[in-house]
Amino acid sequence: MLSVLNRGTAAPGALKPWLLLLPLVLFLCAFFLVPLGQVALMSVTEPEFGLGNYAHLTSDGLYLQVFLNTFLTALGVALCCLLLGYPLAYLMAQSSPRVAALLMLLVTMSFWTSFLVRTYAWMVLLGNNGPVTAFLAFLGWDPPPHLLFTRLSSTLAMVHILIPYMVMSLYSVMKRIDPALLRAAESLGARPWSVFRQVYLPLSAPGMVNGATLVFMICLGFYVTPVLLGSPQEQMVAGLIGTQIEEFLDFGQASAMAMVLLASTLIVLTVYHRRFGLDRLWG
Amino acid sequence: MRDPYLQVSGLTKSYGSVQALGGVSLDVEKGEFVTFLGPSGSGKTTTLMIIAGFENATSGSVRVGGRALSNTPPHARNIGIVFQNYALFPHKTALQNIMFPLDMRGVPVREAERKARAMLDLVGLSGYGDRWPKDMSGGQQQRIALARALVFEPSLLLLDEPLGALDKNLREQMQIEIKRIQKSLGVTTIFVTHDQSEAMTMSDRIAVFEKGRIDQIGTPQEVYRTPSTPFVARFIGDSNLLPGTVLDPDQGLVRTEHLGLMRLPNRLAAAAGAPVTLMLRPESIHLAGPAAGVAEDAPNRADVSVHTVVPYGDSTLLIGRAGGADLRIRLRGPEADGIGSGAALSVLWPASAIHAIPAHANPMVQP
Amino acid sequence: MKLLPKLLGVLVALFIAAPLFIVVPMSFSTAPSLEFPPPGYWLGYYAAYFTDERWTQPTINSLIIAFGTTVLTMLLVTPATFAVVRHRFVGRGLANLMLTMPMAMPHIVLAIGYYSYLGDLRLTQTHLGVIIAHTALSVPVAFLILSANLKGFDRNLERAAMSLGATPLRTFRHVTLPVLRPGFAISALFAFIQSFDETVVAIFISGRESETLPRKMFESIRMQADPVISVVSTLLFAAVALVILAPVVWKAVSRRRSRPDARGGEPVAKEPVPNPCAPTRVQLEA
Repeated sequence: MLSVLNRGTAAPGALKPWLLLLPLVLFLCAFFLVPLGQVALMSVTEPEFGLGNYAHLTSDGLYLQVFLNTFLTALGVALCCLLLGYPLAYLMAQSSPRVAALLMLLVTMSFWTSFLVRTYAWMVLLGNNGPVTAFLAFLGWDPPPHLLFTRLSSTLAMVHILIPYMVMSLYSVMKRIDPALLRAAESLGARPWSVFRQVYLPLSAPGMVNGATLVFMICLGFYVTPVLLGSPQEQMVAGLIGTQIEEFLDFGQASAMAMVLLASTLIVLTVYHRRFGLDRLWG
Repeated sequence: MRDPYLQVSGLTKSYGSVQALGGVSLDVEKGEFVTFLGPSGSGKTTTLMIIAGFENATSGSVRVGGRALSNTPPHARNIGIVFQNYALFPHKTALQNIMFPLDMRGVPVREAERKARAMLDLVGLSGYGDRWPKDMSGGQQQRIALARALVFEPSLLLLDEPLGALDKNLREQMQIEIKRIQKSLGVTTIFVTHDQSEAMTMSDRIAVFEKGRIDQIGTPQEVYRTPSTPFVARFIGDSNLLPGTVLDPDQGLVRTEHLGLMRLPNRLAAAAGAPVTLMLRPESIHLAGPAAGVAEDAPNRADVSVHTVVPYGDSTLLIGRAGGADLRIRLRGPEADGIGSGAALSVLWPASAIHAIPAHANPMVQP
Repeated sequence: MKLLPKLLGVLVALFIAAPLFIVVPMSFSTAPSLEFPPPGYWLGYYAAYFTDERWTQPTINSLIIAFGTTVLTMLLVTPATFAVVRHRFVGRGLANLMLTMPMAMPHIVLAIGYYSYLGDLRLTQTHLGVIIAHTALSVPVAFLILSANLKGFDRNLERAAMSLGATPLRTFRHVTLPVLRPGFAISALFAFIQSFDETVVAIFISGRESETLPRKMFESIRMQADPVISVVSTLLFAAVALVILAPVVWKAVSRRRSRPDARGGEPVAKEPVPNPCAPTRVQLEA
């Protein structure tokens, strides 16, 4: 009896999945894990063996400042996305299917449009000859403020770029809230505001957590937009890593920062995974 | 003696430590319509999948026409299957679906199309060959699936809860339709369902499954009138199950716990003092007329105080207390008129309506 | 009470829409630098984009690299997805993790890794090098979409084919493959876009020789805002609109076409329509 069972599990069937997986696993080992390992290695061997790069990170106030700046920016962007995304997702969930589809189309279109295109659009909008500056001047702001290459411009653009993630996360949860629950609450005597606060808001919370986590994580490692739109004096981590490599060829320091960035991202992911399960995050 | 056409013997199936089948055996004659009836998880679908070759039995064998199938892959078994969700290929039209098995067998296209169209006629969908499955109703998809499973003249037709997804009216229509087609082609058929009325109306024989075993195999009448286990009695139709002990086996006398003395029509195989369960169908219980004059301690009668009345239209179900237990009584048509909750009735039943379920017929005893 | 949140929602929708559409008039502008509204309109910068090798070559490079990435990704991901979805085996969870991991990596981290690792292999500034890096980045998206499709695949279809006499190979060719075709197509499309849009890694490893369009755009925006960028932006935006709107229009048209034969009464089975809005493009690609 036992031998029959053993044959059943150790048969060629157990080998087959690994054969199917083998090419991809080998590829990822060679072209994902090894390069990643190399970054880890460089962080402790360039220019010399030891934890010097990490020590430098903690001792130099500039690096701490950049990490703090990045962290706060990511938090702010996530919060803005939540505050702005919630009404839109709510509107979509409450509208007729036609209007909802139209709004979804808009969000999807934004989602799919290259980061670079959207970053460029903000350069046009906020430029010295752009409509926003012109509007502020029209309101009597003289001379109009310089908007481009500031923290404001990069934050605004990042919010715009990442808001689709938030709206999609929220909408997918809101869409599944049973309207009968809201009617039930109302029939039990809750006023509209209480219905929202006591029923709708808690039920949409998973979408809020999902969206905020996504936006926060993406924002932590954001390179393109802060580099193009942000203030050179207030860099974010990814931008500083780029500068270290392009301008100073300091691979050791860049790698050490990259490892810290990676660790922060993974910590966020792990915390999320512990509490909610990772498979819910990706779509 | 001639070998049966389909011979299933001693099938067991284990998933790790869980035993899904505990020794299923049955013989089916050529042209027979046999239904596997049982609740979900009772092993009926597993047995079907083993016959079809999609699951391997841990032990036991399946033979069709005297040939063992265990080493034959599904595609070479020549068994037609209709799945619960029809499993029509969504990228092929109705006609292409029906032609598929012929194509796989190398039948020339012209010939295949002729046969497929003939099958479309048979299932009553002559003009629907070019429809896509998604543009057809559930009932129509069902017929196409049936046509596809029959067009290659399979040695066996397996139907896995094929009517489960249809609404009630369509279901009855399809029951008749499937039966008609099966008869006209004379194909040996195994039909899986958990719906007892479906099993009763369609089958030549019913195999009742419980916990990975067959409790009883018999004609619909046999399983209804003489269930061999309490489970079968409960699963098929409505029943009163009355525990008791044998008083006098030769006289057919049993003392029940709640309804006193019962007289059975024939002698009992059990010894005096042995425990026995009697089954009494609710519809074989009658009202005792006011002039019946039956003695209070006579066998096969009871005094009932009704507490629930459930009208069904064509009949009425009364549930009342008798001897400290509930008794279910079903009266036809106007017989129940005027009986309300709280009524006190005197009822009786013929000895022929009582069936003794032997106590040893517990299927969970290991062989 | 109900009006205020709705109004807010509409404002946010405008906030999302405005920057998308502003690039379109910009591309027809005569202004040599950023200026809005444009002082005049012409097609000069379109002509510049289509004739200037500094723009056409990166476009071609990007197309080649995205195509190569798509082919390589699908070749690797298809068997792996079948293994993970269809089989239960020791290490399945690990395989699952490994296949989705590149998605959780900030691209700047991988960019350093590829810069030095592919440099050692003399693969930087080559198409092959970028294809390899992009394939690693495209694997998770392609895998997630394909596995979602495969999980939704009704295995009874395969059982039915086999019971009808199809060998396992013919079952795959005649049933599994055709039924999963939309899933494959969407998976491949996502891999293609993932590569075509990828900026950070390309900035560091594509170099002059295999410069991609996003890298060229990035450099161009960073150095001096070349007006041609608005042309490229408009074209990219138009391509996105086309890809998203095409299935919507197609669905509307085919629904209208099939309406006459759809009759009421019995329920008609629904075929799952692949959703182009599926929010699976979750990558730390910034």
